[in-house]
Amino acid sequence: MPLTLIRTLGNRMILQLKEFLLTMQEFFIFSLRAFTTMPKLKKYWRDFLDQATICGADSIPIVLVSSISIGSLLAIEVGNLLEEFGAKTMLGRSTALSVIRELGPLLMGLMLSARYGSRNGAELGAMKISEQIDALRAFGTDPVAKLVMPRLAAALVMFIPLTALADFSGLQAAALLAQHYHKIDPGIFWNAVYPRLVAKDFVVGFLKAPVFAIIITLVSSFNGFSARGGTAGVGISTIKGIVVSSGLVLIANFYVSKIVLENM
Amino acid sequence: MIELRNVTLKYGEKTILDKVSIEVKDNTIKAILGPSGVGKSTILKLMLGLIKPNSGQVFVDGVDITHLKEVDLYPIRRKMGIVFQGNALFDSLTIAQNLSFFLRENLHLPQHEIEKRVREQIRFAGLEGYEDQLPESLSGGMRKRVAIGRALIFKPKMILFDEPTAGLDPVSSRKILNLITDLRNHSGLGAVFVTHIIDDVFAIADRVAVLYQGKFIFDDVTEKLHQSDHSFIRSILSDKILEL
Repeated sequence: MPLTLIRTLGNRMILQLKEFLLTMQEFFIFSLRAFTTMPKLKKYWRDFLDQATICGADSIPIVLVSSISIGSLLAIEVGNLLEEFGAKTMLGRSTALSVIRELGPLLMGLMLSARYGSRNGAELGAMKISEQIDALRAFGTDPVAKLVMPRLAAALVMFIPLTALADFSGLQAAALLAQHYHKIDPGIFWNAVYPRLVAKDFVVGFLKAPVFAIIITLVSSFNGFSARGGTAGVGISTIKGIVVSSGLVLIANFYVSKIVLENM
Repeated sequence: MIELRNVTLKYGEKTILDKVSIEVKDNTIKAILGPSGVGKSTILKLMLGLIKPNSGQVFVDGVDITHLKEVDLYPIRRKMGIVFQGNALFDSLTIAQNLSFFLRENLHLPQHEIEKRVREQIRFAGLEGYEDQLPESLSGGMRKRVAIGRALIFKPKMILFDEPTAGLDPVSSRKILNLITDLRNHSGLGAVFVTHIIDDVFAIADRVAVLYQGKFIFDDVTEKLHQSDHSFIRSILSDKILEL
């Protein structure tokens, strides 16, 4: 009896491993296709502009809300901590490093994973379920070139200014809180920010933007393309896309920081 | 001509099609009859190369398309049009845009030629005045006619229909079936349609193949279906509509 149970569990694990490897293989081919169809960007420039508006301009409010929140919170909490050591004047420095290197890009990535990733997953999933993606293939149009590549290109282009916006608004919020809550003069705050920022601080932060763009777009689109089983299937694939891309954003955030900070 | 030769298709451990062979000649209307979920729509997707069989071969006009790359399949697919069960119209595009979409995408035709072809299909589908409407504002029968118009836009030799009358009222069903017959009679277009409605088969099909438990148990001229002594065929002849 225990042997049979172990064998059944073993078989199930092997089957799941096979499925996982197969999915990874499909994802790799799908991603490769999205990149190799980039030369067709000129043909799909309208789709690119639509997607750039969706993931860029339309995402500004959510990016502002998250970055202002985190900038304000950091200013209050870190300011309180520094006050204990009599080092309140270092608030600008510590907030700037946290926002530019880590929290600005990370929160933007998570917000866009929820916003842009869910939209991609739901839209492409609905197209898959209603056979519109099959229709594209049946009538001779490459669905990856038409639907995924413009999304990827738009995210690659738009995530960088969004990161800059997240950094800027987060720091502005922190500066305001420093002035009104901790009574730190703005001159002192900004003086602790600008002269001490070095190139690698920006490289760490801004390198994350294209990495997150690739993760969020490809994972959510792949899940949309893999949707099956009616409207419930669209929901499942959308959730899967958000969960996986958010997790990968967190992991990538750590590794980009580690690699850049160790090597620059 | 389209041919499936000893095609086997499996989803995981489940065998959907088990060494099936079928031939569809030009200028004929062939029905594929069978209960829901038996793999009828899968056969259409195999014919278009949208899915690959586990074994066996698929031929279109004598060309083995089984292992062709996606890019090489595009010109082959343009020889056939397909009307999906749910029509698969692009819901954010108007009727005229749906009809012109693939012309703009894949053929470098001048604007006046595109407009001419779209007008032809609008007229053919009897949808004058609806050009600027979105698909959601049309009835089921009208949407089906748009989907047929779209399938005709590349002037194919053969059209594949996935359950062409499913979900339509009797009048709309009749119109769609007449349209398929007219296409064969006046334009010489062949058709393959999968269905679970046996009356549709007798109404328009020249030949019928019956798919049951992953195999074709009948493949001949429609009139001979009555002579079959297979128990499943006897039961569907008495019930008229297969289990949904």
